[in-house]
Amino acid sequence: MAERREGGANVNKVTSLVCALWLVLVAVLPVNAQTMSYADAISQLAAACRNDIAKYCKGVPLGPRLKTCFDTNGARMSPQCQQSRGVVYASISRRAAAQRNIGDICSADIARLCGTSHADAHLVECLLGVSPAAMSPQCNQTFTDTGWRTERARQ
Amino acid sequence: MKSHHIFVIAAALVIWAAVTGATAQQQINSGQMATSLAGVSNTQLSLTGAQMRQAVLDNIHNYPGALPPRPLAFPQLENLAQFVVEVDFDFNSAVIRPSSYRTIGAIADALHNPILLGYGFLVIGHTDSVGGREYNVGLSQRRAEAIRDALIDPFNVNPAALEAVGMGEEQLRDPAHPTSGVNRRVQLVNVGKKFCFGRSGEQFVCP
Repeated sequence: MAERREGGANVNKVTSLVCALWLVLVAVLPVNAQTMSYADAISQLAAACRNDIAKYCKGVPLGPRLKTCFDTNGARMSPQCQQSRGVVYASISRRAAAQRNIGDICSADIARLCGTSHADAHLVECLLGVSPAAMSPQCNQTFTDTGWRTERARQ
Repeated sequence: MKSHHIFVIAAALVIWAAVTGATAQQQINSGQMATSLAGVSNTQLSLTGAQMRQAVLDNIHNYPGALPPRPLAFPQLENLAQFVVEVDFDFNSAVIRPSSYRTIGAIADALHNPILLGYGFLVIGHTDSVGGREYNVGLSQRRAEAIRDALIDPFNVNPAALEAVGMGEEQLRDPAHPTSGVNRRVQLVNVGKKFCFGRSGEQFVCP
């Protein structure tokens, strides 16, 4: 009996350690990792919030009104839905912002690596052809966040 | 040579989608969608969304009946790069079910693929034959618009690149089984290059 209880305590310790590591990863990853694809982001939300959507946002169309519904009812939703909703909407807006701002953030890189005439016509194609190591870290991170590299590779 | 190769893949995908039906369609990923949308380029479509909507109503008026006596054809669209997916909606409603959120996200990912940058797309909604023909035109229009709206927000697709058209039941995929689920579908069509890029990467309508 005692042995079994000890074993149980060890399992608990391991579980706590795994949980702690996972929390650290979740806290650290979004800073440097790439943004999720829209398909992965929204299906994560649909899976984590299935019951909460049915309960609080039934009949609400996917779009700005769904986000409003999450913002209004967030506190009453399940912890895993709340956690997922934060991560998912942060990833979606980070990807959108990266696509919007890439021209400004990478302007020096584009001038240096692409030559203006090339970049004028096709900024994205130019950056796709440049090695990440040759880009400034900020431009490379923003370009990664746009999702263009991963989508191009999927095709 | 390469574009010919891509077109063959696109055609194969469309045929594959037509043969395998609804369940398998959900598995088309954003890369495959982008490939099938990129198959044909340098095509300028003269047909507008308004003309298509009028043709749908004319078809109902000119060929009345519980079911369309003859399917409405748009030969101009047939050779354009396109794919078909199934999207689940609430019954008689334009609200997309959470089970189809992933499909909408994948369409958005495909439309954001750099190879499709600057192109315009039709989002065409089709219903089965349950309900009146005119009612179904309205329902499929609202559903196509719901998909377009979700692609724009939260998924950040350029609103000017998308046009939504409701086809109702005027182009049944399986006329022998008009109430079958394979008829309920969304068709994405690449209508050609629409935007050009300015000196600092900004987009404008090509002259």
